[in-house]
Amino acid sequence: MDREYDCIVIGAGNGGLVAALDLVKRGRKVLVLEKNKKPGGVATSFVRGRFEFEASLHALCDYGTEASPGEVYKLFEKLGVLDKMDFVTVPEAFHVYSMNENVHYKLPFGIVEFIEQMEEYVHGSYDSLKKFFFLAEECKEALFYIEENKDYIDANYVKKNFPDFLKVSSHTVDKVLDSLKMPKKAQNILTTYWSYLGSPASKLSFVHYASMFFSYIAKGAQIPYKKSHQISLVLAEEIEKLGGKIKYFSSVKEILFKDKKIAGVLLHNGEIYEAKHIISNVSPNSIYGRMLPQPIVPKEAIQLTNSRILGARGFSIYLGLNQSAKDLGLDDYSYFIYENLDSDKEYQNQSSIKNSSSVVYVLNNAIPSASPKGTTIVEFKSLFMGDVFSKSITEKNYFDMKSKIAENMIDAFERTTGIVIKPYIEEIEIATPVTYARYGGYPDGVIYGYKATGMDNLLPRMVGMDHENFIPNLRFCGGFGVKMSGYHASYLSGDLAARLTLKDMKGEEE
Amino acid sequence: MELNLKGIGEKDGQALKNMSKEREKVIHNSSTTPINVKFAANEVADALHPTVQHVKVVDIIEEGQDTKTFVLVPNVDVGTKKLAYFRPGQYISIRVEIEDGIYNRPYTISCSPKNANDNIYTITIKRRPRGIVSNYFLDEVKMDDKFAISAPTGNFYYEPIRDAKNVIAIAGGSGITPFISMAEAIVDGILDFKMTILYGARSENDFLFKKRLDELAKKSNLLQVKYILSEEVNPNYETGFITKEMIEKYMVNENSFFVCGPTPLYEAMNEILKEFSIPNKYIRHDALFGRVDLRGNDLYNLTVLTKGEEIHIPCRARETILYAMEKGGIETTSRCHVGECGFCRSKLISGKVKIFDDDICAADSEFAYIHPCAAFPESDVVIELPF
Repeated sequence: MDREYDCIVIGAGNGGLVAALDLVKRGRKVLVLEKNKKPGGVATSFVRGRFEFEASLHALCDYGTEASPGEVYKLFEKLGVLDKMDFVTVPEAFHVYSMNENVHYKLPFGIVEFIEQMEEYVHGSYDSLKKFFFLAEECKEALFYIEENKDYIDANYVKKNFPDFLKVSSHTVDKVLDSLKMPKKAQNILTTYWSYLGSPASKLSFVHYASMFFSYIAKGAQIPYKKSHQISLVLAEEIEKLGGKIKYFSSVKEILFKDKKIAGVLLHNGEIYEAKHIISNVSPNSIYGRMLPQPIVPKEAIQLTNSRILGARGFSIYLGLNQSAKDLGLDDYSYFIYENLDSDKEYQNQSSIKNSSSVVYVLNNAIPSASPKGTTIVEFKSLFMGDVFSKSITEKNYFDMKSKIAENMIDAFERTTGIVIKPYIEEIEIATPVTYARYGGYPDGVIYGYKATGMDNLLPRMVGMDHENFIPNLRFCGGFGVKMSGYHASYLSGDLAARLTLKDMKGEEE
Repeated sequence: MELNLKGIGEKDGQALKNMSKEREKVIHNSSTTPINVKFAANEVADALHPTVQHVKVVDIIEEGQDTKTFVLVPNVDVGTKKLAYFRPGQYISIRVEIEDGIYNRPYTISCSPKNANDNIYTITIKRRPRGIVSNYFLDEVKMDDKFAISAPTGNFYYEPIRDAKNVIAIAGGSGITPFISMAEAIVDGILDFKMTILYGARSENDFLFKKRLDELAKKSNLLQVKYILSEEVNPNYETGFITKEMIEKYMVNENSFFVCGPTPLYEAMNEILKEFSIPNKYIRHDALFGRVDLRGNDLYNLTVLTKGEEIHIPCRARETILYAMEKGGIETTSRCHVGECGFCRSKLISGKVKIFDDDICAADSEFAYIHPCAAFPESDVVIELPF
């Protein structure tokens, strides 16, 4: 097997796969090293009995449709993989429940429809919502402009075209919604998706939340028919078809240097592969803390990493039920079961091991054929903030703990919605921060990268990007990167990492 | 349109300009101590799912005719300090080199998780008539022999959210291994459910762990064991096959059936449980048992692409592609051997294969991925391994 490559990609997650395919399409010789048996990281599926479960994708943001393509759609089109995937738009935006207040709200996709439904729930919210979506669209466009032109941002152009964006660019979600005079109740419903970013309204950048929310409501959310494993596999197959190489069961131990420049990688099995460029789908914690020779790591890289807070830890329950969704009364696609609708209070709640909140997806309500006839796949996604989960477990109590926590969440769902599912569980699998730590190697089982807060929000990361390229020819992608976590962000991060690597390569040639 | 944003003024427009400096400030003010790379979740993950466990044999116990239990402890010399905790019913895959072949075989851990705390696993191996690995273990393996084994794997375990509090365990022959582990765990207070084991075997000599099972049953009200002989009349046991009436005696309102043994046992139990209208959710089969036995002597050419090489080996119609590779000395990554775990997932480049009971994902099938452990050749075959 070849030992020399133009670029080595560490980790075949969403970012790594896109980056590799981008480079291969431009004629670069690329090796992807993946420690697991399959591509995609948590973008995968697994089989238990007669069910094939989706590991993690329930609402792809910014994909859209042929008529109204989003950034991810355009990216897949550019990569030449669009026709190999089939997507479906999920039926509704969300159905959010508050356990505390005993209320629930169901919201549709489509900006007009969304605003009208909100006005019904919260009289007098109409104007503030209209302004919100106007501002949200401007933020999305401004972010796009900044990224496309990050080498030379025309201040006058920004001032002229994105004046409101400029004003809100450093503010948090709650501050801007207050300034729009949005009633608190409407704010609480509007921020339902906060748990997709893992940071509450008082910490999360408005620009980030608003642009994501805008994409969802304007374009809907999509999922692939054959689960996220289909996307991962299509990308992986295309890489290999175009001459790239993906090696599974291949875990990188160390990045190698020669004359203080990146020279390649050493695997845990002793194999060495050479390349002058590396794209890491692995967290900076692991790269700077463990995989680089420590004298090489600059003080700033250590300080940057130490300045950051690890984001939300993941906890998921996968249920194969032996009844149809209709028979069970599971009418919706996504149930957001929160203790509190106020995201700051809910963040506190999710910082406790007693947390029983979750987002519950009924796969068959988007894809009727997701499981055999007369059965249903229901998947719970939940979070733990901070290290509350890992501090509560040991090797010995782990199996008991995960069952207890899962049961607590299933009970909370049943209590809140009045829908009974427990007696119908035919297959069950539970993934915890330990599972994510093992499978993805994520520090402490974090599934959202670093927490979006203060100067580590989206825009500060974007404007800081150029100064934070501490090791020449080493670029990052994935959930710990500039574009933050989430499927759409991680795909787009791969595209960004590939573009930057190509620039690095050109710089060398000149 | 410019919005009138209450409390947000013109000067906020400057914030973006200063953001880069603000962020730098935060970075410069933060600690220069070495980056933390130790996290509790990762440490538990490493403890429960080590990439490999090196072990050595410290005791070999004769369990009767043609069956031995091997007691394994960490082989500290090559870096394994402790053994991973497990769930009763799980297996490890053990790697053995026999002549020119490299084999991985799954064996259920036949002791209590409590033993794992004391760094002990036991596996119990019965001789299979043509089994290269089982014969090797029974005839060749001796004290102090060293092996590499996988982390505990497999889904044949009690899940309190799904399973009934009353478990009827139906074991045939050496299919008792997961249940001895569960029984030990019940007595050790690690598992909490009522279990009745209905243990069928051909003759009295074929009962494994009988003495231990009787001891355990005496220690716990949650546990009872009934023995059934199929080919021997003995006044101490019931005779015949496990029947509907036998099972009915131990059933309460809600029951989970855990079945482990040869394929005919699964078929017979499915028939009986159908009569009781037991839903799927209450019937668990240990996938490790009940392998497919095919006939057919046709010989095909198998080409394996791995590590940049192209290896040609023969493969018979009755052999899985995995088995042919193992015999041919090719390093594989398999664990379960029954198409369940996905560790041997490989790409079928060309040729036709017959697939049994395979848990492959839909997208994998679309791109011709197979599990060589569950695939038999029907023509010459070319496959590509994942590395």
